[in-house]
Amino acid sequence: MSKVLEIKDLKAKIGDKNILKGLNLALEEGKVHAIMGPNGAGKSTLSKAIVGHYDVEVTDGEIIYNGKNIVEEEPEERALDGIFLSFQNPVEVPGVNNAYFLRTAVNERRKKLGKAELNAAEFLREMKALVSELGMKPELINRSLNEGFSGGEKKRNEILQMMMLEPNVVILDEIDSGLDIDALRAVSEGINKMKDGKRSFLVITHYSRILDYIKPDHIHVLKDGQIVHTGGPELVEQLEEEGYSSFEEK
Amino acid sequence: MKLDILNALDSDSLLKELKSSSSKSVAASALAKLKVPNKKTEKYRYFDIAPLVTKDWQVADIAEAEPKSEGKKIVIQDGALVNSGDIEGLSVELVEFNDIDSEHFDGLYFLSHLMAKKAIVIRCSKDSSFEIEHNFSKEESLINYRVVILVDANTHVQAYESFSGDAKESFILSGYDIFVSRDASLKFIKSHTLKQTQYTPIFTSRYKVDSSATMKLSSFDFAFANGLNIIRVELKESANIDASHLLFVSNSAKYGIVSEIVHEGKSSISSQKAKSILDGGARGIFDALIRVQHSAKWTKAHQNSKAILLESGAYMASKPQLEIYIDDLEASHGSTTGQLDEQQLFYLRSRGIKESDARKMLILAFAHEIVATVDDEYLANKIYAEFERAYYGNYELDCIKTCDGCEELVLKDEQ
Repeated sequence: MSKVLEIKDLKAKIGDKNILKGLNLALEEGKVHAIMGPNGAGKSTLSKAIVGHYDVEVTDGEIIYNGKNIVEEEPEERALDGIFLSFQNPVEVPGVNNAYFLRTAVNERRKKLGKAELNAAEFLREMKALVSELGMKPELINRSLNEGFSGGEKKRNEILQMMMLEPNVVILDEIDSGLDIDALRAVSEGINKMKDGKRSFLVITHYSRILDYIKPDHIHVLKDGQIVHTGGPELVEQLEEEGYSSFEEK
Repeated sequence: MKLDILNALDSDSLLKELKSSSSKSVAASALAKLKVPNKKTEKYRYFDIAPLVTKDWQVADIAEAEPKSEGKKIVIQDGALVNSGDIEGLSVELVEFNDIDSEHFDGLYFLSHLMAKKAIVIRCSKDSSFEIEHNFSKEESLINYRVVILVDANTHVQAYESFSGDAKESFILSGYDIFVSRDASLKFIKSHTLKQTQYTPIFTSRYKVDSSATMKLSSFDFAFANGLNIIRVELKESANIDASHLLFVSNSAKYGIVSEIVHEGKSSISSQKAKSILDGGARGIFDALIRVQHSAKWTKAHQNSKAILLESGAYMASKPQLEIYIDDLEASHGSTTGQLDEQQLFYLRSRGIKESDARKMLILAFAHEIVATVDDEYLANKIYAEFERAYYGNYELDCIKTCDGCEELVLKDEQ
């Protein structure tokens, strides 16, 4: 199975604090990888490092994507190349129209892929269909980006973006946090629909609940900035029963 | 004519020197007291006033020819009324005007009245909507004129003010005396792009909002050169002013607003909001005082200034102030100055939007709140376009942001 994204001995810090301490991980094409770990293990830092967040300084190691090390690449370059992060807490951007923002992003991605840009009507038709599919209120299309959205609406909006941007690698950071059961189901269905045997997913979570809906192929346990254990779906049950303490740090 | 030499004169001598009518003695007394401002004058301390008051100006003669009466636009050319428009419910004439605001804090307000022999008086006796275009072409001149808007009781008016022309090296000294009568309303929208090579404007105005009347001011100043808007507002009982200002200043220009809102009547309401975007080595000015007098119980007064500095050389002189003489009121004021929000910028970039485009989006978003105060969609779009032209050059406005036309298209497609 080919590796889409490979993280080699990654060390990263936020401010003066070393968070990732030689992390190794390889995402396989078309597979769902889940990263589980306790609070403060470095899960969100890992997702931020992959997308080039300004908070995170990579001090050593490599993030190999499409055969090249992307550590020095700008966030927009990584996104255009097909890496998508669904944020744990999507930021509100008052005054930026949701549809206008997303059409700009979609057309940038399409340009990168050599596809024709969508005109406003084509774009809106597609967006409206997905908004309906995700059970979002239609008025969210023309609202300011995430402004005044409930927690569930923000997460659905993240999934909407993911579906329209058609990335190659999807990182879902605590996608289930703040979601009620209906929202969780809608979001999960959206994600599952995106599985096409080629697209890879990295699901970052504290809890196993989301993994009832998005079935993982591989589970990785992250503790103190390192992957300490990797296994199959059966690991979820073990984690539920024993917690993270049973997995020793390297 | 050098303006600063007037400071040596008493009120009688001012009337004589400026060839003003004795009916303007109130203005002469006030100017003799307040003086023509200099760099030490408190209200001008953030602005570069010295070059304007020390230069020996050629004072432009204001022509009094019979104006045309065509279209929906009132046109003022170098201070002269050239088209009074043909607008139902409006009368526009040139008359001697003496009902000035004796309490105004600005010496130039009085000087402007003393120098203007007549004022362009626009009386609105019916509900109406009109445009006032100011055009400036005389170079290296001091162009002084006054405009008065009288909105009769129970009348509802929208006035849009625009600017054109390129009077290089001139000093425009002008402003409004606006009277919104009892139970009337005025929406006053000003949009002014001031290029680097153009004149320096000082608009010094007075707005009197009568009992239960409402004034909504939306001002949009996109400036590459120095300029100042000076406003004094009087609010009577249950009067309301809602003032929103969007300021974009670039180069090394100093541009802004100096205002004083005075709550005179009880249950009066003021809301003043300024958003400033400062580029290069620009200085934005928001020096705004709200005064609540003893007579103004149950007043509501809110004031806020937000500024974004796009370059390290930009500077915001923000001074919101409340001066309150009663206990029974609701009041707030605040001021923030910072850069573009890093989290928002990252979020947009993480979706593949180039940093420069993401910055554009956020700047437009910052401006959006003020543009949204203009509920006339045509004017709002025009202002958006002017802002984009001022900031980004010839940048086409994407219709998806402001209209539902495409939505309609989609619906038609689906039928």
